[in-house]
Amino acid sequence: MTVSTPPATAVRLNRLERIWKESPGALGWLTTVDHKRIGILYFFTSLFFFAAGGVEALLIRTQLIGPNQSTLDPATFNEMMSTHGTTMIFFFVVPMSLGAFGNYLLPLMIGARDMAFPRLNALSYWIYLCAGIFLYVGVFSGNAPSAGWFDYVPLASKAYSPGPGIDFYALSLLFVSVSTTAGAINAIVTIFKLRAPGMSLNRMPLFCFAFLAVSFALIFALPALSTALILLELERLLGFHFFIPAAGGDPILWQNLFWIFGHPEVYIIILPAFGIATSIIPTFVRRKMVAWPLVALAEILVAFLGFGVWAHHMFAVGLASATTIYFAAASLIIVIPSGIQLFSWITTIVTGTPRFKTPLLWIIGFIVLFIMGGLSGVMFAAIPFDQQTTDTYFVVAHFHYVIFGAAVFPLLGGMYYWFPKVTGRMYYETWGKVSFWLTFIGTNITFFPMHILGLDGMPRRNYTYGPEMGWTGLNLIETLGAYLLALGLLSVFANLAISIFKGEKAGNDPFGGDTLEWSTTSPPPAYNYAVIPKVSSPYAMWDTEDREDDARNLELGRKTLEQGHETPASTAVDADWDEVLEMPSHSAWPPIVALGMTGVFAMIILEQWFAAAIATVVLALTVAGFHLKEPEEA
Amino acid sequence: MTSVPRSMEASGPGEVKAMDRARRTQASGWWGAALLIATEATLFACLIATYFYLRFKTSEWPLGGIEKPSVTLPLVFTGMLVATCVPMFLSAKAAKGGAVRAAWWLLLLAAAVQATYLGLQIHLMVDDLHSFKPSANAYGSIYYTLITVHHAHVAVGLAIDAWLLWKLSRGITNYRLIALRVAAFYWYFVSAAAIAVVLTQLYPSL
Amino acid sequence: MSPLNPNSPAAHDIATLWWWMLAVAATVFLGAVAMLMIGWLRRDTPGLPFLGENEKANTALVVLFGMAIPIVILVALFIVSDLVLLNETDAPQASSTAMTVTVTGHQWFWGVRYEGKNAETANEIHIPVRTPVNLVVHTADVIHSFWVPELNRKIDTIPGQANSIELYAERPGVYRGQCAEFCGLQHAHMAFRVYAEPMPKFEAWLANIERPAREPTTAEARQGQQYFMEDGCAACHTISGTKAKGTVGPNLTHLAGRQTLAADTIPNTPGDLFRWIQNPQEIKPGAKMPGLGLGPGKFHAIVAYLTGLK
Repeated sequence: MTVSTPPATAVRLNRLERIWKESPGALGWLTTVDHKRIGILYFFTSLFFFAAGGVEALLIRTQLIGPNQSTLDPATFNEMMSTHGTTMIFFFVVPMSLGAFGNYLLPLMIGARDMAFPRLNALSYWIYLCAGIFLYVGVFSGNAPSAGWFDYVPLASKAYSPGPGIDFYALSLLFVSVSTTAGAINAIVTIFKLRAPGMSLNRMPLFCFAFLAVSFALIFALPALSTALILLELERLLGFHFFIPAAGGDPILWQNLFWIFGHPEVYIIILPAFGIATSIIPTFVRRKMVAWPLVALAEILVAFLGFGVWAHHMFAVGLASATTIYFAAASLIIVIPSGIQLFSWITTIVTGTPRFKTPLLWIIGFIVLFIMGGLSGVMFAAIPFDQQTTDTYFVVAHFHYVIFGAAVFPLLGGMYYWFPKVTGRMYYETWGKVSFWLTFIGTNITFFPMHILGLDGMPRRNYTYGPEMGWTGLNLIETLGAYLLALGLLSVFANLAISIFKGEKAGNDPFGGDTLEWSTTSPPPAYNYAVIPKVSSPYAMWDTEDREDDARNLELGRKTLEQGHETPASTAVDADWDEVLEMPSHSAWPPIVALGMTGVFAMIILEQWFAAAIATVVLALTVAGFHLKEPEEA
Repeated sequence: MTSVPRSMEASGPGEVKAMDRARRTQASGWWGAALLIATEATLFACLIATYFYLRFKTSEWPLGGIEKPSVTLPLVFTGMLVATCVPMFLSAKAAKGGAVRAAWWLLLLAAAVQATYLGLQIHLMVDDLHSFKPSANAYGSIYYTLITVHHAHVAVGLAIDAWLLWKLSRGITNYRLIALRVAAFYWYFVSAAAIAVVLTQLYPSL
Repeated sequence: MSPLNPNSPAAHDIATLWWWMLAVAATVFLGAVAMLMIGWLRRDTPGLPFLGENEKANTALVVLFGMAIPIVILVALFIVSDLVLLNETDAPQASSTAMTVTVTGHQWFWGVRYEGKNAETANEIHIPVRTPVNLVVHTADVIHSFWVPELNRKIDTIPGQANSIELYAERPGVYRGQCAEFCGLQHAHMAFRVYAEPMPKFEAWLANIERPAREPTTAEARQGQQYFMEDGCAACHTISGTKAKGTVGPNLTHLAGRQTLAADTIPNTPGDLFRWIQNPQEIKPGAKMPGLGLGPGKFHAIVAYLTGLK
């Protein structure tokens, strides 16, 4: 990319830099509205929760290393088991996908200078941080939830879980759902309105289709969880009755509401990974994605169909046959869009000329693990088989293959892929490969034997087991596998951490990437693009004529939008340029509103109702403050 | 390129009207509000589904000998609220056309009726609380939960009205026009939700 | 305790289904891995083997492997498992079964009652071999799940709802079951046994269970009975024919006939029984049974009494 040689260009770049650059230092980060900084904040915070969830997992596996161990007493085990699932799903994988990867990359991939709502973006982050801290205040004060991550009633009702652990669970999830909803809204509006003029939907990268699908799924799934949690807390804290048969309630109501959220949630977990895979594969196999339109459609379909299958988590509950048969059929249908994507990836790899660098290795590992997890998943649609193996280690194997193998592996691959773009340095390639293999092998040693244990009758969520059951050997292997996996992950992150300081400088485009972010510097300037890019296909970087047009426009000062803090807004489908938006800069209101919200939740968990009412008024005032300054006053 | 409007600079009735005419697609803020409304609508759908789930678990409904709800006043009040869609619509339309003062007065009218609605509804609810409590049984619990969630949405709408009344008294900008249109959209949603909620509440008596 | 060690027609069919699914899954998996291997081996040559660079062929492959073949496999799986097999694992018609046993899940033991007989026990179920039994499950508190993998699928115990499955054992034997829905602190120690025996043996066992508790025969046992009734045990346990009518804990009328204690947590020997009643929390922390602190003398006597309750 030609930069700065003509003096007019240099002046332009300087002006953009001055307009967009944010303050350095802690205050700058606290008040940031830059999607890249927010992405980085999300990245490190969700990594912290990944580590927390990982420690919980290692404690669980250590307790289960042999029969009748006393590393953890049953109460602590149940807390670790519940907190592990809750942390990993709500505070690691979704924030890492949507908050870190989504925030950082979406504007870059669509040729925009920020998300549609930068201050809302910052607010989403601060709420997430506060909600995570809120949960862990509970955990560290001896009040961790202990009814599992899906928290079935009556066990989670006040009568059987009298302490505040469940309240920390429910309230922290309600709290974080505000963040996730805001993030989803931001992503959808950004994708529909802020695409570079000319980037019609059929020229949008597949990564963006995946994130669009995820965001719509979140919009419609989260309210079901919120409803369940609100009803639970009304029952626990105010004596309402929803789940108790004697009062006209039904515990299955909880299960229905939870899984109406819970099943789409697992597609929410995996769709961003699909998006990352479809970004990495074309770059490293040096050809376009096979059957591109089918893949785009499949990504949307997975999100949509995911809403029709929830009761397949309830096959042992005693539902009517006709009901279970419907849900089994629907669950089988979802296999099709997943299959389309899978074989599109595989065919693209086979027909391309792959370079097996670290990011591609993670994706190949993902494909293998996703197939395994998907196959065991299909088996669960055979209802009688499900009724034998649900609630055993067989299902624990299944979901770890799809969540860890299929959702996390692409995240790790994506960290390696975009590392040079974000940091401006390369990671150590050989070390990267070694880390991948350690992790891949550790994953399989940990989770594969669980299939066998489940078929050998070992139920899940058991804090111990007897020596006579014959489960000892496999449990030992799994625990050793978990330690190896932990070692692999440490190696993965150590490589990245050291490379930030010692890695070779990376140019704009070390891998020959296909999407727009590779056209700008590494790391990108605060304004992302000096020139709003011209786009003719989903593989913008490979359209060299368009990139040459951009360079000419930069020299001539066309499409540079240098008059203010500006980015274009376009029509939703065809991306015809409609307006120039004025974007906000530094704002203290996001952290302030997040603190206001924290106050409300804190008063509720302390059951101080009057104080909670006051806190709500304070929150309303902070929201008013948030809206005080209008864009043209910025 | 320079012909593409810098929307946020539009200020004063003439510019705002011209900006609104020029745009081919809804503003980002409107889209964001539409998606927020989608989540809230889903929340109501889940609560109403909960109501009917609980209803079809038993043969007796209301439970525990609670009297069936009276029909007239709730329907009249709901009609009141739904009627405010008209001044909200007209207010947004006036503001689009540059008639800011007319827009302001129409908004005030709508807000006054909406506030009265809320007051009357709360009065009805307090009356109900004398006959049965939410902790009586599942019927009481879902009954009060549904209407309280609805009332909360009305209260938020009133806060938005108050905010807009203040801002619009200081003049109109592109931003405030979008906000007014969003407010109108929000009230259409709240009215639709009110109809759904009241029909659900009154279901045993209908 | 394995679904792959079936001892009933339903469990057999599920196990067979599993082996077929495994075969298909392994084929799919190996096929996909083979494709990836081809990708690696041909990493310097673009296009497909034999067909070369041909986008139409590529798309056709995606549709074939990603849609067409899966549809065939999935429809077959659906028909076999959800239309045919499902009938076997559904709740039985009461008219097709010879007897009804009601099991109630508690935190953390199983109450067992034989309908139409005055027969109640805990943590063990005896059934006549090769006889269809209607097994009805309830819960006294939270959701549990009744699961004897060698005989049938699991069925959850839901408050306010009666669920049922069929128990049918092809062969005499002891079949272990365990709670399979997380139910709190001692979910891991909530197991039970199903004894399938020839009809005469079963009927003898059932007749014994219907009788009230045997009277103590030794002085120490008589002392133990007195301590049992007066020092707290009777508040939670039932021993039929005596003053003990508590329902919080399991029925102990014929405790001595059981092979295990505390829901299959420890064996039922006098030594283990002593350890258990002296300090239940050490063996099963969180169990609802408190240590009564009666002292070894009293506990010995109680054990003497309980070991006579055959």
